[in-house]
Amino acid sequence: MPEVRNALAPAAVAQARPQLQIDKVFKRFGEGEGAVVAVDHVSFDVHPGEFVAVIGPSGCGKSTLFNIIGGLLDDYNGNVLVEGDRVAGPHPAIGMVFQEESTFPWRNVLDNVAFPLELMGLPKAIRTEQARHFIELVGLAGFEKRMPSELSGGMKQRVSIARTLVSKPHILLMDEPFAALDEQTRLLLGDKITQIQQELQQTTLLITHNLTEAVQLSDRIVVMTYRPGRVKRIVNIDLPRPRTSDVVSSDAFGHYVAEIWADLREEATRGMADTEQRTRGARGHG
Amino acid sequence: MAATGKIGDRPLTATTSWGAKGRVSIRATHAIRIGFVVAAATIWESVSRSGLLLHDVVPSLLAIFAAIGRLLINPAFYANLEVTAWEVAASLAIGGAAGVVVGIALGANRFLSRAYEPYVYYLAPTPRIIFFPVMIMWFGVGVASKIALGALSCFFTVALSTAAGMRGIDPVLIRVGRSFRATTWQMALKIYLPAMRAPVLNGVRLGFGTAVITALLAETRLSNHGLGSMVMQIYSHFDIPSLYGLLIVVFVLAGLGNVLLGKVTGDRG
Repeated sequence: MPEVRNALAPAAVAQARPQLQIDKVFKRFGEGEGAVVAVDHVSFDVHPGEFVAVIGPSGCGKSTLFNIIGGLLDDYNGNVLVEGDRVAGPHPAIGMVFQEESTFPWRNVLDNVAFPLELMGLPKAIRTEQARHFIELVGLAGFEKRMPSELSGGMKQRVSIARTLVSKPHILLMDEPFAALDEQTRLLLGDKITQIQQELQQTTLLITHNLTEAVQLSDRIVVMTYRPGRVKRIVNIDLPRPRTSDVVSSDAFGHYVAEIWADLREEATRGMADTEQRTRGARGHG
Repeated sequence: MAATGKIGDRPLTATTSWGAKGRVSIRATHAIRIGFVVAAATIWESVSRSGLLLHDVVPSLLAIFAAIGRLLINPAFYANLEVTAWEVAASLAIGGAAGVVVGIALGANRFLSRAYEPYVYYLAPTPRIIFFPVMIMWFGVGVASKIALGALSCFFTVALSTAAGMRGIDPVLIRVGRSFRATTWQMALKIYLPAMRAPVLNGVRLGFGTAVITALLAETRLSNHGLGSMVMQIYSHFDIPSLYGLLIVVFVLAGLGNVLLGKVTGDRG
């Protein structure tokens, strides 16, 4: 059942070279007294075709880690290695999906999804063909000519996912892509993600604070501590694949959730207490 | 009355107008507009015929329309129109271009905006006509001083709305562009430009209005050419029907110019 992975990787895994290596990544914001260590020597690997989730309470440096791996925050210590390449600036092998609604409101669905292909300078016929393929993959066939303003939140997020997939990233990096959605939509989109991941053998790293989402989708879960963000433990999720959202009703699923929640609760409690204290402090000063 | 309530519900902000299909019943809106014109004309004509006011002050509509007819075949009108149109176009081109450049700089650079934006905000509501004597000293009594004043007027309008548009860009869209490794040029063309299109064009349309007002106002003050000076000439002859006729023509022209500008810039290809 869940096991703590130590620094020495098992022999079987060592053979396949990790596609993404996070190696003692450290990031501090500010200087002196007000300095905050957001990410503190975080290390873990993601192997080809694997789905890994990073979970932790708000304030554990998840988003900072996301920005570092995505190359949007290139001033950091330690190494993020993509296929052996140190990340400094957005790496071509990584495709990002953001938490915020990020479709271009002036482009229809087709043109939104074709955006990365346009940047590559591909001819229009090829752009359209590939964009259509991924629009179909995320289940939005028939909506090609719609504007984002006509779509629901879940549909817009699927457009964003298709837009990232169309650039054929070796590693799909997602930051709470379903955070703004309701639970039912979230579960169903989870199915879609699992299906896509299995179909494309897509290596995926998901940043999330949602426990059920993490267990539903992942092969492994990296649990982070509250400030400073460290790796608390790494849990293998040995639920059968192919999976659907039905898995949430299984005993094994409940077991994993309970197991990880025990760790997470500790961190979330610390986070809450810390926030309250700082709020009080701020009022005292004011 | 229900229909007027609906007009207010129409999405006016730039962000919601993208592809939104919030069509109000256009026919009802048109009916109300036409109804307003008919009512105004009826009241005008009855006042004119009743003799309650001086007949010269409120001339009959027929007299006004006859004056408009005379105006439209008068070569002097077209000469004046050309002068004013040239002034407005040049003001908008100069002031608009400068406004877009300065607006982008203010919007993009927080330091610049903190340093200079107060000036823009303080100067923007100042009636520009008070700078007219200065412009006359610098640029002479001819067309150039009107263009300078017009350019000064629309500069502020365009700069402020461009700066607001620049700052209004959703930061996540910029992160999306960066994550796909867009070049600076691609960022400008495919993200900044389309994202700012609506507020900038809105600024240009407002700037057009300001340029028209300023040009005409300046012409009424000191000029021998242009529609503004023509208004004053007609007034000095006390040719009231022609005066009203010219005002109606100017009103219609300004409206048409605005609609035309909206058509050129508003509809996406």
